[in-house]
Amino acid sequence: MLSNDSVARSDSRAINLTFILIAVTVVLSLLYAIQHYAGGPIQLAVVSRVQDLALSPDNATLAAGANDGNVYLWHTQQGWERSILSKHKRSIIGVAFTPDSGTLISASRDGEIRLWDVETGNVREMIQTGTKLNDLSLADDGSVLSVVGEDNKVHIFEVASGELIQSLGPTSNTALAVALDAQGTLVAAGNGASIEIWDARTGDPLQTLTNYCEDETLETRAACEEADEDWLGHEKEVTALAFSPDGTLLASGSADTTIIFWALETGDVEWPSIGHWSTVKTMTFHPDGRSMLSGGEDNKIRNWRVPGGKSTAIFEGHLSGVNGVAFGWGPEMILSGGADGTVRVWETANQKVTFIAWTKKGLQPVWGSLLRTWMLVSGIVGLVSLLGLRRAQPWGHLLALFLYVVGPIVVLGLPLLEVFIYPLSLGEQLSIGWPLLLLLGWYGMVVYALMRQSVAVSYEAPESSTLSEQLMASQRTRKLRNAIFIIAVWFLIMVVLYSVLRRFNLDVAFMRHFFSFIMGGAWMTLRISALSIGLAVVLALLGALGRLSKNPIANGVSGFYISLIRGTPLLVQIYIWYLGLPRVNVVLPAQVAGTLALGVNYGAYMTEIFRAGIQAIGKGQYEAAEALGMSRTQLYRRIVLPQAFRIVIPPIGNQFIAMMKDSSLVSVMSIWELSYRAQKIGRQNFRSLETFMIAAAFYWLLTVIFQFLQGQLEEYMARSERR
Amino acid sequence: MTEPIIRVRDLHKYFGPLHVIQGVDLDVTPGEVVVIIGPSGAGKSTFLRCLNFLEEPSAGTIEIDKLKIDAQEPLRRQRRHIRELRQKAGMVFQQFNLFPHMTALENIIEAPMTVKGLSKQRATEKAEELLDWVGLSDKRDEYPSRLSGGQQQRVAIARALCMEPKIMLFDEPTSALDPELIAEVVEVMERLASEGMTMVVVTHEIHFARDVSDRVILMADGGWAEIAPPNKLFTDPEEERTRQFLAHIL
Repeated sequence: MLSNDSVARSDSRAINLTFILIAVTVVLSLLYAIQHYAGGPIQLAVVSRVQDLALSPDNATLAAGANDGNVYLWHTQQGWERSILSKHKRSIIGVAFTPDSGTLISASRDGEIRLWDVETGNVREMIQTGTKLNDLSLADDGSVLSVVGEDNKVHIFEVASGELIQSLGPTSNTALAVALDAQGTLVAAGNGASIEIWDARTGDPLQTLTNYCEDETLETRAACEEADEDWLGHEKEVTALAFSPDGTLLASGSADTTIIFWALETGDVEWPSIGHWSTVKTMTFHPDGRSMLSGGEDNKIRNWRVPGGKSTAIFEGHLSGVNGVAFGWGPEMILSGGADGTVRVWETANQKVTFIAWTKKGLQPVWGSLLRTWMLVSGIVGLVSLLGLRRAQPWGHLLALFLYVVGPIVVLGLPLLEVFIYPLSLGEQLSIGWPLLLLLGWYGMVVYALMRQSVAVSYEAPESSTLSEQLMASQRTRKLRNAIFIIAVWFLIMVVLYSVLRRFNLDVAFMRHFFSFIMGGAWMTLRISALSIGLAVVLALLGALGRLSKNPIANGVSGFYISLIRGTPLLVQIYIWYLGLPRVNVVLPAQVAGTLALGVNYGAYMTEIFRAGIQAIGKGQYEAAEALGMSRTQLYRRIVLPQAFRIVIPPIGNQFIAMMKDSSLVSVMSIWELSYRAQKIGRQNFRSLETFMIAAAFYWLLTVIFQFLQGQLEEYMARSERR
Repeated sequence: MTEPIIRVRDLHKYFGPLHVIQGVDLDVTPGEVVVIIGPSGAGKSTFLRCLNFLEEPSAGTIEIDKLKIDAQEPLRRQRRHIRELRQKAGMVFQQFNLFPHMTALENIIEAPMTVKGLSKQRATEKAEELLDWVGLSDKRDEYPSRLSGGQQQRVAIARALCMEPKIMLFDEPTSALDPELIAEVVEVMERLASEGMTMVVVTHEIHFARDVSDRVILMADGGWAEIAPPNKLFTDPEEERTRQFLAHIL
């Protein structure tokens, strides 16, 4: 408690100093933000995402188009020496070599297609399309190239002359992918979830590949599924396309994560496949047409056997989405480029990376933008808090505290951990570590100044107020201040937890892919727990009344029930319910059996809780009710049980929380609740850790929500005790 | 002589081997106020609680407003009669025993509604009248935890009165109260007596006994030591036992 003295003798110098300190911080933050939003000199972005990859037919040059507008070339025969072609102003979206390996074609979001001389690195020709481009495709014979862009049209150019031959479309939906067949006779482009095919020479529309029902008389998906038929085709935008070398198949990848092989002759799905765990980004056929490679946003490359559409190998290692894949110069080798800024060489036999080349190497670009945003936000929020401080408002003081305590942890803590996932050398980390430490040190000083008692007190209670007002205000502010620090501690622990989780190297794309499926189990978990706790409460109430009753039958029954159920493990009981009932020809649905097992088990434990609750009601209450002429039933219903319920609500809530997690045991009955789903999916894909992490997160979330609700209920029930 | 409203004959109560009440008789006429005083352990409270069967008498008969119950017969079979008898006898406890989960008003209307089947509206009207009568109209929606001891006891009296009892039993109603709160409860009891309620009061409040009661009973060792009008008992007691007790408390 602070003394009257310290209230009265609030140190005006410390207050002014604090004010100046914050003012300086705010001004510097704003200056930094303004300078950087105006395009300041420091550019912390170091990684360039690879958007497409191409290997020249003579295997001498590997080209990677990146999102910084550069095309990175590696001369594979000269020790992977690197050169950079930088003329494009925006992100590259496609690169390709002509069959003679002499010309490199690149297309970019700036709307330009450039034809480069690979030897000299000069631009041989430049084509302006006037629209932001989405995809590029070059016919295998090098005669024509085609692009699609934001105008949703397919443009076909002659490579030799650079002249526009055809402009097809526009398609009714976004066109994200385009493909030419080997001779440049057919062109296919995505049209939302369907695919349009034209004759590339005449521009005649030939075919539309769209989703359909196996029973073609059924037109809607719902009708199709009702008739128990397969609904075939993509459900989301087509994001990658490739013709097989012999021109009989078209492979399409989609944002719905699947890959489909279409038979061009019939226009039907030849082989559907599981595809990736996230959007399919790129596909390429082997020249012999017997296998295909695909890369996806799930950071993985998959190899497909073309007859059948079965996945034969998965290549894992990219830290971010795979945007380009190519077959290497040996039969045992493939190449890939990803958004993590790397180009990787893989051995197909054991699916290991043998070589990594970086576009640029360094920290995440997130630094620059986050720091800049933080500076702007903290500048503005700091300005507001200054306003509050000047007018001696306690909220100004608290706002400033919150800003400089919680803010840095959130903004700087998370990206700092990102550093660990990129294999950087110590020097690179330190190069921006020092300014950061200085920044944090400065914030520490600000927080210290804000926390000084004389400063804090001066904002908590203006001197004009009475002593009791001052004391109340300071108590209130102290509470809020503690809350701010508690939030900071939570964030800090979560940041640490997050860093540990990153070390687990979890497959994020996989988790995202199955997230909603596992989430579906949360509802089942909640339902089973809620029904079971309902049953348990009824049983516990009866059990407790039985235990307290003088009737030997009631007493004996409930005593035996408690003894038996508490004396055997829940898992064993679940098995007995599950296996025993069918023996006496009682076949219950698994959910009912599971609910019974849990409810009966928890009922036994909760009987003791109820008994204690009822016994906690004083004798005087019984006497008062009896003296008023109430019957036994009326007495329990109106006087004893309502009071007992209020006493048992906290322990029952506790039991409910425990039950929500114990409900995972009914997964042995094949009930599709959280744990069972996690277990199933995890085993199928050899990723149990990932799926159980999701399940754990949901259990936690449910518990947190329930705890909040329980708190509200307790507060409501305690209304008669408030003084 | 009018017909007595309470008639107790040869009442005995044992707690195990302990003979707590040793065969007492009592007649109380309507409108009479009887105060029972005596040293602690004399069996005053037990006697009072036997009157409405909160303690089961071991032997004897109790008749209240022409409803007679013989303790010799199994009480189990007479449950219904006991409940009826309890409705005729309102009881006020030392520890108030208000229902803590109900507001003052809810405390009062609870029994009329559940036991007598009164409509909520009727019960509330009556309860509000009674709250006004005990001077607590402004506390109708407060929970007991927010009331002082004196206020709680006045609500408890209103609660008992709302059942429209024929007689009222007070079991040391002021013993748990702070001295300055006793007066407000005693005042209510005095008004109740002046309105003609038949009352049996166990108390240490000598002033109440002297000023309000019609008869004072000194109870000692499980029986009546002396029964007399207050001015006689307090000034000129006949028994040695009475003199001893008065010497202690006066």
